[in-house]
Amino acid sequence: MDTYTPGPAAVELSGLVKAFRSPGGELVRAVDGVDLTISPGEVVAFLGPNGAGKTTALDMVLGLTTPSAGTVAVFGAAPRQAVRAGRISAVLQTGGLLRDITVRETVQMIASTLPEHAGVEEVIDRAGLTSLARRKVSKCSGGEQQRLRFALALLPDPDLLVLDEPTAGMDVSARREFWDTMHADADAGRTVVFATHYLEEADTFAARIVMIAGGRVVADGPTEQIRSQATGRNVSADLPPAGAPQVLARLREMPHVIEATTQGHRVTVTTGDSDAVARALLDELGASNLEIVSGSLESAFMTITAAPDRGARTEQEVAR
Amino acid sequence: MNATFTGLELRRVLRDYVSMFFIAVLPAFFYLIFGAAQEFGREDAGNGNVTMHVMISMAAYGAVTATTGIGGMAAVERMQGWGRQLGLTPLRDSGFVLMKAVVAVVVAAIPITLIYLLGVLTGAEGSGGAWLLSALIVLAGAAVFALYGLAFGLALRSEAAVGAASGSLVILAFMGNIFFPLSGTLLTLAKFTPLYGYASLARYPLTEGYLFNTSDGTVTHEALWVPVVNVSVWAVILALLATWLVRRGRARQ
Repeated sequence: MDTYTPGPAAVELSGLVKAFRSPGGELVRAVDGVDLTISPGEVVAFLGPNGAGKTTALDMVLGLTTPSAGTVAVFGAAPRQAVRAGRISAVLQTGGLLRDITVRETVQMIASTLPEHAGVEEVIDRAGLTSLARRKVSKCSGGEQQRLRFALALLPDPDLLVLDEPTAGMDVSARREFWDTMHADADAGRTVVFATHYLEEADTFAARIVMIAGGRVVADGPTEQIRSQATGRNVSADLPPAGAPQVLARLREMPHVIEATTQGHRVTVTTGDSDAVARALLDELGASNLEIVSGSLESAFMTITAAPDRGARTEQEVAR
Repeated sequence: MNATFTGLELRRVLRDYVSMFFIAVLPAFFYLIFGAAQEFGREDAGNGNVTMHVMISMAAYGAVTATTGIGGMAAVERMQGWGRQLGLTPLRDSGFVLMKAVVAVVVAAIPITLIYLLGVLTGAEGSGGAWLLSALIVLAGAAVFALYGLAFGLALRSEAAVGAASGSLVILAFMGNIFFPLSGTLLTLAKFTPLYGYASLARYPLTEGYLFNTSDGTVTHEALWVPVVNVSVWAVILALLATWLVRRGRARQ
């Protein structure tokens, strides 16, 4: 963590909204009121399903799109200003490359637009592209093109690096290779914000997870905290033969129960408070053979993003 | 102005042999067939001969093919995501447009230089003023057609659009009195098409506005304002169209 500069936040979003008209003419709020502060040195994952508003939010951070309402500050300045000062750069999900020039020419071209930049050969080397430098972009694989975008992002030696689904469409080994390259270089004191819908990526590489769904932040906290508090656990137990519907109804009324289902005599409850559910099952409802299993991040993600109201509640829990 | 960026852009275009064929080789070939190799080539055409008349026309065709292609590619590559990549750099839109314009003019100069050189070698004759002025008008007028390519690229958003724009120039060149002299109704219609004013203006230093009717051998005169109005009106139409398409593109983001 940075302790030497008590300066402005790396990213400060307040009341951020981006609305646009869909082709059908209806108003879509891709980002719907996001407040977020990211401190220098943090590695943060924006986790959310496709269409959650991650890319739109990051586009506003990068100055590629202007907000409909709210403000964005990057190191206390407007995004475009931060871009011009070389403080922020990005690996874009849909950042096009020119297919008919070589890897080195691409780096040279972008480098020439920057007043100050790292050496062309240096960033090519750091992105692991030395052996491909003379190859045409059109002949590079998806993973190689992504490393080229990463090389471009390294050119301004940015304080904040934004990665928008950097490994989308890569196979597992290309993904690992990309993150290895990333790690070797980018997290040395840099602020990194990356969007992903791969849970293990957020889990492995970020210290903080911001879950986004429907254009809103539905959960925000340290990775472990998100996992333990927001994830919930699955409590299952055998019920006495009679009264299963009443038991289900009783369970569903409990405050932290997300879901309760039965299969035969066995009930399974997904909950944020497994202790309370276990106590109720054993003490009041006559259940037996109780088992508590930690839910996966995946299941938490599904429950949180599928139900924005519950998500808001989880956010309060996390904040607490 | 960024010399490295402009240089790399220029190298891209020059390396694209297919485009260079349509920009430089094909118009030069047309000149040799329709101009240098024709018996009537030595005949008088105002301040020079008919060979020179064909030479200017073909140079104009090559130059607009170049600028249309570069304008179209600029639009398409920006929309296909390169614009987002450039949006992460300090480069401004105006700087990008300026560099593309420089590249377009330099590339347009290639067919002009090639065909004028062939003209010198194969008997095109004209006054010094006609040589110099016609070359300058061909070059300057071609810049307007970067907007034509741009509009195509913006409207259709694909590389095929650029091909379509360049291909459509063949028809416009025919209708613009470039490939061979039109007469009658076709000529009247031609005066409203976008390449007509440009080509007439380029040939004006040579013809001083006289048009030769190949079917009955008569000569008619056309006032300078006709091609001037044609070029001006089309320049405004293309500029408005490109501006509107850029705004529409922005609104979609």
